[in-house]
Amino acid sequence: MKTSPWLTKALSILSAPLVSLTLIGCNSDDQTIAKDSLIYCSEGSPVSFNPQTVTSGTTIDAVANQVYNRLITFNKQDNSIVPALAKSWHLTRDGKMITFYLRKNVSFHQTDYFTPTRAFNADDVLFSFQRILDEEHPYHPVSGGRYPFFQNVGFTNLVDEVEKINDYTVRFKLNQANSSFLANLATDYAVILSAEYAEQLAQQNQKSDIDTLPIGTGPFKLKSYQAGSVLRYYKHPDYWRNEVAIKQLVFDITASDTGRLTKLLTNECDVIAYPIAAQKIQENPELALEQVTAFNIGYLGFNTQKPPFDNPIIRRAISHAINKEAIISAIYRDQAQVATSILPQGSWAHDDTLVALEYSPSKALELLKEAGVKDGLSFDIWAMPVQRAYNPNALTMAKLIQADLSQIGVKVDIVSYEWATFLRRLNAGEHQSVLLGWSADHPDPDNFFTPLLSCKSLETGSNRAFWCDQEFDSLIQLALQTTNINQRRALYRQAQNIIQQEIPLLPIAHSRRFQARHKAVKGQLLSSFGGIDFSEVTKL
Amino acid sequence: MLIFTLRRLNLFFFTMFLLTLLSFSLSFLFPGDQLVNLTGALNASDSVRDTLAATYQQDSNIIVQYFAYLSQVFSGNLGTAMTTKSDIFNEILRLLPATIELSLFAFFLATIVGIPIGFIAAIHHKKPIDNAILAVAMVGYSIPVFWLGLLAILTFSIQLGWLPSGGQMSLLYEIEPRTGFMFYDILVSSNDYKWDAFQNAFAHIILPAAVIAIAPATIFIRLARTAMLTVLETSYIKATRAKGLSFNQIIFRHAVRNSLIKVIQHIGLQFANLVTLAMITEVIFNWPGIGRWLIESIYQRDYTAIQGGLLVLSSFIFVVHIITDYIYAVLNPLARGAKYGSR
Amino acid sequence: MARDKIYLEEEFPSPLVQLWIVFRSTPSIMIGLGAFTFLIVLAIFSPILAPHSSVESNITMALLPPAWDDAGNISYLLGTDDLGRDMLSRLMHGASLTFGLSFVVVLIALAIGVFIGSLSALTKGVKSSFLNHFLDVVLSIPSLLLAIIIVAILGPGLSNTLWAIVMVLIPQFIHITRSAVKEEFAKTYVLAAKLDGASNLRILQHSVMPNIIEKIVNQATFAQSAAILDIAALGFLGLGAPIPLPEWGAMLASGFDLFYIAPWTVYLPGLAILFAVIATNLVGEGLRHAIKQRKDS
Repeated sequence: MKTSPWLTKALSILSAPLVSLTLIGCNSDDQTIAKDSLIYCSEGSPVSFNPQTVTSGTTIDAVANQVYNRLITFNKQDNSIVPALAKSWHLTRDGKMITFYLRKNVSFHQTDYFTPTRAFNADDVLFSFQRILDEEHPYHPVSGGRYPFFQNVGFTNLVDEVEKINDYTVRFKLNQANSSFLANLATDYAVILSAEYAEQLAQQNQKSDIDTLPIGTGPFKLKSYQAGSVLRYYKHPDYWRNEVAIKQLVFDITASDTGRLTKLLTNECDVIAYPIAAQKIQENPELALEQVTAFNIGYLGFNTQKPPFDNPIIRRAISHAINKEAIISAIYRDQAQVATSILPQGSWAHDDTLVALEYSPSKALELLKEAGVKDGLSFDIWAMPVQRAYNPNALTMAKLIQADLSQIGVKVDIVSYEWATFLRRLNAGEHQSVLLGWSADHPDPDNFFTPLLSCKSLETGSNRAFWCDQEFDSLIQLALQTTNINQRRALYRQAQNIIQQEIPLLPIAHSRRFQARHKAVKGQLLSSFGGIDFSEVTKL
Repeated sequence: MLIFTLRRLNLFFFTMFLLTLLSFSLSFLFPGDQLVNLTGALNASDSVRDTLAATYQQDSNIIVQYFAYLSQVFSGNLGTAMTTKSDIFNEILRLLPATIELSLFAFFLATIVGIPIGFIAAIHHKKPIDNAILAVAMVGYSIPVFWLGLLAILTFSIQLGWLPSGGQMSLLYEIEPRTGFMFYDILVSSNDYKWDAFQNAFAHIILPAAVIAIAPATIFIRLARTAMLTVLETSYIKATRAKGLSFNQIIFRHAVRNSLIKVIQHIGLQFANLVTLAMITEVIFNWPGIGRWLIESIYQRDYTAIQGGLLVLSSFIFVVHIITDYIYAVLNPLARGAKYGSR
Repeated sequence: MARDKIYLEEEFPSPLVQLWIVFRSTPSIMIGLGAFTFLIVLAIFSPILAPHSSVESNITMALLPPAWDDAGNISYLLGTDDLGRDMLSRLMHGASLTFGLSFVVVLIALAIGVFIGSLSALTKGVKSSFLNHFLDVVLSIPSLLLAIIIVAILGPGLSNTLWAIVMVLIPQFIHITRSAVKEEFAKTYVLAAKLDGASNLRILQHSVMPNIIEKIVNQATFAQSAAILDIAALGFLGLGAPIPLPEWGAMLASGFDLFYIAPWTVYLPGLAILFAVIATNLVGEGLRHAIKQRKDS
């Protein structure tokens, strides 16, 4: 018998349309739609569309600079404070009264769910801040009533009153002078919402929509969002600052590092967050790898309210047993500095006399003996599932620590969940220790101390060590009440020394933030503080 | 035929009973509060909890509770996901079509490739072609699908740049999800770039579908080969040969049809297998289907989502199974007499 | 085969010996059997044979390519991963996890399945009919899906994965044993034994078992190749073996993030899985070949 020509023929007929369609399928890329749109592969889903209610960097990246504006903002080059929705401001000499003069003719987004009838004015500013300050405000309890950033900096106690002078003038009265107040207002969290939209929602009894279907004055308006997969923005045609060059901004939520790089290489993404394999990107002439100095800290936080880490000696022992140098080279590929304090070396308040706890398994063993640990200590390390500049790969870092600690006979179990679940369980204090970090929102050193380790932040959830020390707390309080930089520096040094003694968390590294893009995409996206900003991006 | 239908119906109800019972008991087996597991109402206020407890008849005995659960399920209420707070039923309605689409496409690929090759192997029984096909089939059957997926992406997306590496369609195109079946949605949408989007979606489905299709295709090769061999040995084929029919006449008029019936018998089982492979492949190709969603839910211990997802997915597989059984029975009257368990 | 009907001392080789004869005559099957034996040896002796530890990291040696690459190091024959762990040692240890455990899993499932199967073959009535229905339902769900379902219930983890796969495989063994035992009981040699007054249990033990053992072993090879793939798949999905363990699927998953920097961390575990499954399938193929030959003769 020989092969039937019929069969061969039948096969080729059947496969012909497949082949032809495949070929057509490939060349559909060069469309105008591709030129007007930008796809950003992000590392995780936003948890809310209102930066006031979160601390998560992923949410800030996705929302803050895209949907909203603040009264004032940081200059991307020198980090000085510059006007935004407020065209100017005035500070009284005692530092207790700040008046903002607002910009006129700033329009809010018009979307499928809201059509604004008036431009931005003082009512919107009042609404945005009263929601946080006034516990009786109808919108205060919406979405859980937590405003972690503002609670961390003690906003409610600090601000006595927000007052509308006229439609375009707003005055903040403070209870005491505060050296980081303006910086706090310039952060990504202090966004301005629409009071008119809030009214409309209140009438429809849909208040919670304000944080899921956002309306702002920013360069992009929300078109659609599918949790965990895609976030689509259209440009805001009447954006007050500049004409936005791209019509459509798409966030392709891709949690896998390799997945994001693959999409960049196959041209499915224009820009990707937290790239891996730097060499592979640099080899490719069409791609650019960029980096900014970021103010951040990656740390191992000990839950100081739970055994075994309620014992400071054990915290010290574990800290001695972790080889930070190895972590810097393996995880950060040497693009980071070993952390000696929670403050980065670039900060003016950093104590340069501090030295990192040396890596010494024998010392660790002694300390463990001193703490009375006899048979094998074991604990959980929670490794965050997303990549951040301060920790590009927490899971591998956890594995390294696991291996380090096994040398002193300590057994480590590595725990990880999807990001939202991870944070929820972390807030509940289910962890024993956690690999996490913090990116500064503004250049003031207080932004490291208060959110991470103050007693206040215990309630707001950003104090993952669940650590509260009265002496430390009063030091950082004092430092806020003065503007004298030398005094502040001295106070912060004392605070850093307490951390060095007590080790509620072990600082590991200060890293740079990376990003990769196709060279066709132009415009500055990253700055030292806060989230990514697409308002000035263009595509060739 | 009536008796056959009744038997299948009986089996269907028995299975559905088992599946819902299992799904219901899962809420007890999972750690945590049973009502929370059932509804996904994590951190609910007391009033919400009370309403839910009333809906699910928590005060009554277990049998009443089961029927309360059943009535909720049939009215399309599977609770809300613990992690995303979204309605599970809607979520599944959105995701399941994507999985079905991918599976059907892969299934189509597997049959049109696998069955003819199997026939070719049988016709060349014990010749080098037969051996080569068998060897390739063995490798195809043994290769882990997740690895194959990675290799496929590396080769066809990155090195050759022919096909996209993941997703259902380029995100540039905005297609309103009506049915969840992407190709259908594109065709009924009113966009200018409809045809571009269609091509783009087609380019996206080829790679994952091909990866999924490999293992079932090799099984089809073996099934088709065995079926054809058995048919070729039967006396009626010998009779046609004796009658002097040409080779093509024998194969196409007599052998193919009779062996196809034997292959169809196993198709239902293979479809279920294929859906499982699709679940894993979805993870690698970032396909927004129910498999990826379910695996994600397991990973996050979202018990409500697991419960709902499992119920829908296993019911779906079982329904497909019964349908193919039925088709087989229609095509082959001999099978109607067969009893359960005697496969 | 026609035989002379003269009373001669003729030795009938036992089924197992017959099997060996068939195996020896087919080279591809012998290769498979060799590979299978090799894996078993590896699974048992990997702690002694492996040159390095499978979990201990050595950062100074991280991301070494395999030895044949210019940048490779001969003492790390297959290279290292991102924590500087020797790939070869991890693959060897992985043999005892992925392959060895799948073997154990199949043995357990086989023992339970054959026991229930032969028991149910000897009973009739309602119990039997319920079992039929139940088997029909369970067997129609693919093993991996069923394993995923069970892991979803038990929660992720290696031992849960193993139990899940045991539970998935048992019905298959029940089914095959039941139909095989029933088939044999209908044959005349069993009738002869019965007429001699042997109890059912005795017949099962002495007459039926030796004759169906091949079918069961054949099913066991199917089960084992499925078990290897299932363990690896669950490991890959992060539902199986926990992080430091060198289970092949889990290794592949952690290599996924290094795909562009260290592609060998993806290629090698995949090849290992493929190798183990092919070896198992080749042995299975041999068994089927032998059974067929015996039927034909």
